[in-house]
Amino acid sequence: MPSKHAAVFRKYCFDCHNAETQEGKINLEAISFNIAEDIPTAERWAKILNAINSGEMPPEDNKPISDAEKTAFLSDLSTRMVTARKILSDTGGVITMRRLNRREYQNTIEALLGIRPDSSSLPDDQASSGFDTSGASLFLSSDQLEQYLAVARRTLELALKPQAASQERIVHVEAEDDTTPLYIEKLAERQDALNRALAFQAQSEKPATAFGFIDAGQAEKQRKGALQYMPQFVDYLQRPETKHGATLITTIKGGLTKVSFRAIDGESGKEAVIRVRAAVYPDAAPRFRYLEFSMRSWSNSYTRELGWRKVNGTIENPEIIEFPVSIPAGERVQFYVHGRSHQGRGDKNLWALDRETNPIGTPPGLWVDWAEMTQPAHDGQLSEVAAQVLFTRPTDWSEERYAREVIARFATRAFRTEAPPDEYLEKLFNRYLVKRAAGQSQSDAIIEPLAIVLSSPSFLYMVEPSGSNESLTELELAVRLSYFLWSGPPDDELIAVAEAGQLSNPEVLKQQTSRLLSSARADEFVRGFVHQWLGLDRLGMFQFDARLYPTFDNAVRESAREEVYQLFHSMLTGRQPLRTLLKSDFVVVNDLLADYYNFDGVEGHEFREVQLPTDSPRGGLLSTVAVLAMGSDGIRTSPVERGAWVLRHLLNDPPPPAPPNVPQLSRLAGEVLPARKLQQAHQEQPQCAQCHRKIDPIGYGLENFDAAGKWRTMESVLTEKRKQQTQDFPIDPSSKLPNGRSFSDYSGLRDAVADQVDQFARGLAEAIIDYGLGRPYGFTDDELANQILEQAKSSDYQLSLFIHGLVQSEQFRRK
Amino acid sequence: MAEKPSINSRRTFLGSSSALIALPFLESLRVRPIAAAEETNSVVAPKRMVFLGMGFGVTEEVWYPNQAMVGTDYQMPDVLKPLSKHKSDLTIIQNLYHQYSSDGHFGSTFWLTGANRYAVPGQSFHNTISVDQVAAAQLGTETRFTSVQISGSNLGNASDGHGPGLSLAWNRQGKPISAWQTPVAVYHRLFSTETTPLAERQQRLAEQRSVLDTVLSDANSVKRRINKTDSDKLDEYFQSVREIEIRLAKEEKWLGVAKKKPHSELREPAETLEGVEEIRMMYDLMVAAMQVDASRVFTYRMPGDTMLASLGANMSVHTMSHYAEGDRHAVSELRDRYHAILLAEFIDKLKASKEPDGTTLFDKSIITFGSNIRTKHSLTNCPTLIAGGGAGIQHGRHLVMSDPKTPLCNLWLSLLNGVGINASAHGDSTGIIEELFTV
Repeated sequence: MPSKHAAVFRKYCFDCHNAETQEGKINLEAISFNIAEDIPTAERWAKILNAINSGEMPPEDNKPISDAEKTAFLSDLSTRMVTARKILSDTGGVITMRRLNRREYQNTIEALLGIRPDSSSLPDDQASSGFDTSGASLFLSSDQLEQYLAVARRTLELALKPQAASQERIVHVEAEDDTTPLYIEKLAERQDALNRALAFQAQSEKPATAFGFIDAGQAEKQRKGALQYMPQFVDYLQRPETKHGATLITTIKGGLTKVSFRAIDGESGKEAVIRVRAAVYPDAAPRFRYLEFSMRSWSNSYTRELGWRKVNGTIENPEIIEFPVSIPAGERVQFYVHGRSHQGRGDKNLWALDRETNPIGTPPGLWVDWAEMTQPAHDGQLSEVAAQVLFTRPTDWSEERYAREVIARFATRAFRTEAPPDEYLEKLFNRYLVKRAAGQSQSDAIIEPLAIVLSSPSFLYMVEPSGSNESLTELELAVRLSYFLWSGPPDDELIAVAEAGQLSNPEVLKQQTSRLLSSARADEFVRGFVHQWLGLDRLGMFQFDARLYPTFDNAVRESAREEVYQLFHSMLTGRQPLRTLLKSDFVVVNDLLADYYNFDGVEGHEFREVQLPTDSPRGGLLSTVAVLAMGSDGIRTSPVERGAWVLRHLLNDPPPPAPPNVPQLSRLAGEVLPARKLQQAHQEQPQCAQCHRKIDPIGYGLENFDAAGKWRTMESVLTEKRKQQTQDFPIDPSSKLPNGRSFSDYSGLRDAVADQVDQFARGLAEAIIDYGLGRPYGFTDDELANQILEQAKSSDYQLSLFIHGLVQSEQFRRK
Repeated sequence: MAEKPSINSRRTFLGSSSALIALPFLESLRVRPIAAAEETNSVVAPKRMVFLGMGFGVTEEVWYPNQAMVGTDYQMPDVLKPLSKHKSDLTIIQNLYHQYSSDGHFGSTFWLTGANRYAVPGQSFHNTISVDQVAAAQLGTETRFTSVQISGSNLGNASDGHGPGLSLAWNRQGKPISAWQTPVAVYHRLFSTETTPLAERQQRLAEQRSVLDTVLSDANSVKRRINKTDSDKLDEYFQSVREIEIRLAKEEKWLGVAKKKPHSELREPAETLEGVEEIRMMYDLMVAAMQVDASRVFTYRMPGDTMLASLGANMSVHTMSHYAEGDRHAVSELRDRYHAILLAEFIDKLKASKEPDGTTLFDKSIITFGSNIRTKHSLTNCPTLIAGGGAGIQHGRHLVMSDPKTPLCNLWLSLLNGVGINASAHGDSTGIIEELFTV
């Protein structure tokens, strides 16, 4: 903390908090201005920060700190607090032995047993702060240890038990079976209620109960309801195509019409293909041209959208859409086919809104003739991976020898680098004997010792034995590399290279790194790293109001997330300069997102690079729907969230964390004002202004994108919610970056950010070091970051160079 | 820092030979409660503690009583009206907070601990023992379950307002303790009859011990090969094994004692209960568990999103927490009101449940309802409502602490002392809140 601020203490605080007075046991004369001196000092400063931020100090009856002094003081203190936290949490380069995080655990078990374990009972390590590879923060508890045992037993039982042999199975569903009779019945019910209500209302002798109503009020309600909802069913049933298929509509009670299959057991995991014969109505809006495939897990209580396919066939000439699905091992699931959905009550709310202008509510877009699911034949044999675990017993081997060998081989693979000690193997074998003695079959009895292997420290932790600052062994290096880029164990080739003693050769290491990066398994790195690096979890934190943003549905949200991964992935393989992530003349989208962005001519669900027209505002992370939608609360844009995101993730200048107890700005609450006007209240108080003068202006430059990421020229602010009345305001996107460079509109902002690619590259380097070494980035790592950046800069900071830079570094190859 | 209770929990509980004898004895008393109460003075109903954490805080404008009206002459805020009939048996306290809490999304992570997440150099997350676990070390020795942790499903994120953790409870090492997550699961753990023969269950325990013995042999061999830092990390593993050993020892003691059926007409809950109905059922299950003395310490991390959904609100609890005027405000208020309704019902049931000594469950329990988050993302003046006669608190009052920064841990310490636990500190406590015990 600059010593000049001692003047603030002298002027405003010493009356009560000097060496003599020490009110509240606080003596500001004695406080060290080196905030990072130790944790108690940092805590004392944190309290000072909070007390001034919340307006608690100085007390009301004392002289207030002048705005200029306060702003300067708080601004310095809050940024230095961030630095101090970083210094105090610096590990000094020590990499703590870490346990596998949940993603790695799943991938590792899958590599060993061929099926993905259901690990929903284990903690999601991404929930805590920092990357989920940070060893010191990955804890273990007794509950968790028991869960590891339980998950391992269950997964082994599924993996090592052959599925029953079966023929190819095809389940065929005629879509109208589920829907048409139901809607005939619904219409008849409504018609009957209407008739009774009208009959009751046409006379005055008999009470409502004589007509089947509780009272006159209910009769009137039912009459109104019938008139409201009948037109939809009448419309539905008069369509000739509903005699032999189903039109996909939304109803106020049932939500989306679904074509559903019966629940299936996943056993040891199955693949299947769903085929749907479908058509699209010629006048359907773009959003209503896609089938959504979803899965409900009855065993694990969740529903998940699996994907979307555009339908082009016509009622006269429908097309057959194919969609592959996986049935998770050990789960009981059900598959559905329907139109695109919103979260929560979104679809029903939208229907109610649409009904104000159209008697049938939301007009349908799709029609389904039939759907079928094909499960391929199963030969009743163990999977290849499982057969490797339970290898064929040589005829001259005793049961004992075989069991010992199965256990030893499995434990050796599971432990990755070190062969298990004899004493341990002996104990495992004893577990097998006990199970046999208790009457279990050989194949059942082997499960227990193998489950224990998967719950032992040598499996759960990345053990890199012996003292610090020594080079990793070849095998340890292979393990570190594959967990970095695959979040899973090394494959046979990588192990072979390591065992031949060649991996530590820089050339070979580089080749292997490239090979791992180009493998499909590198997807684990892309998703795991990018999700945490860019804070994409925020994308699911707010529900969007379907009435305000009808096209921002589950499909758009999930595709927008995918766009970011795909963009990063194409950068990783395509050798573009890093600046491309900030500004580019292309986007990576599929048909569904192209619709959302209003690009023509993109057909097919695969993501691919699409060249942009010169006047498009898109191209680069800043204008992706994912990033823009994260910067909103589902109703309005938040220039603060957007500005903070840009500072944190693009400009490597993270603002201090939002102080918890700053008084809420309420002066403008409830007033109908544009977002920019509302934020200006931040300038009125020094404790707000000190951070927000940096944050908010960046957000202003993004105001031409609405909360759901669509381009707009006017800002519509809701004035009356029920009737959806709004007032429009012109947008003023001009402002300036913290470095002083001003911009007049979004493209100016984008160029200004893109010109700071050096800062962006530094942020990326720090994040990759953090993720790859498994410890929070500390000041000790500055030199390593400089090294990586220096090498990468000469080639325009190509993404893969950051990875090669880290892998080749001393730090990566050392314990 | 975590305080060290004066009682060595492990030794006490391993050495407690009275547990098995006491139980059937208590049970026989239930048959003739009045006679029993006359015959002996030594058997009194046990003390119990319940902590109910709601995640995101309350609608501050309507939840807190007027600070100008303190003591018994305060007016119950409108959203708390459902609790009016219990007004003389509950206390609302203002101006409690945790000085180290700084994350506006963590309503539960540090609520019962008061820890400083940055307290350990080189770590970005640190926690300490929660108050319920301090209590359980003493109150839990004589029951089948040392403590019971309940949580809504899939909680433990910033977006649900609870923050990291598996329940409200954190163990002596500051590691999270897992919870039972659905009413059906809670029901089965508490009341399902064990059909396996005794010998087989003994065998199973022996096998679990052999499993631990086997993994320990690997752990020991790893320990010999690694350095000090890594060894500290591996200690978590050893500690976990030790905790399981302790639990197994306890299970062994209870092998011969059949689980008791609840006295109330409690049926196995439906699988589909969510939101308000789920909370109501969890409350019923806790009452039933107290009736059979299955445990004396309960924590419940309550669902948020599903509660709003069951109230017909079309938004997530995080969306709600960013309330301004309008829909979000209305939903937040509705949530407060329903929490009051459910809590009032819970208290009704506790009051209706008689103990063998003539008191009620409510008389001997101390229930805390609240969160580390006041409202929106503010962390001062944590909403705190306590009820029940278990800690000797003079209820019926609205207390506003004169120091707006009174440690919430002072309340936790007061409650510990109030139920007879001789702790001298908890978290960052500076002492007990004397006002609670004196009029």
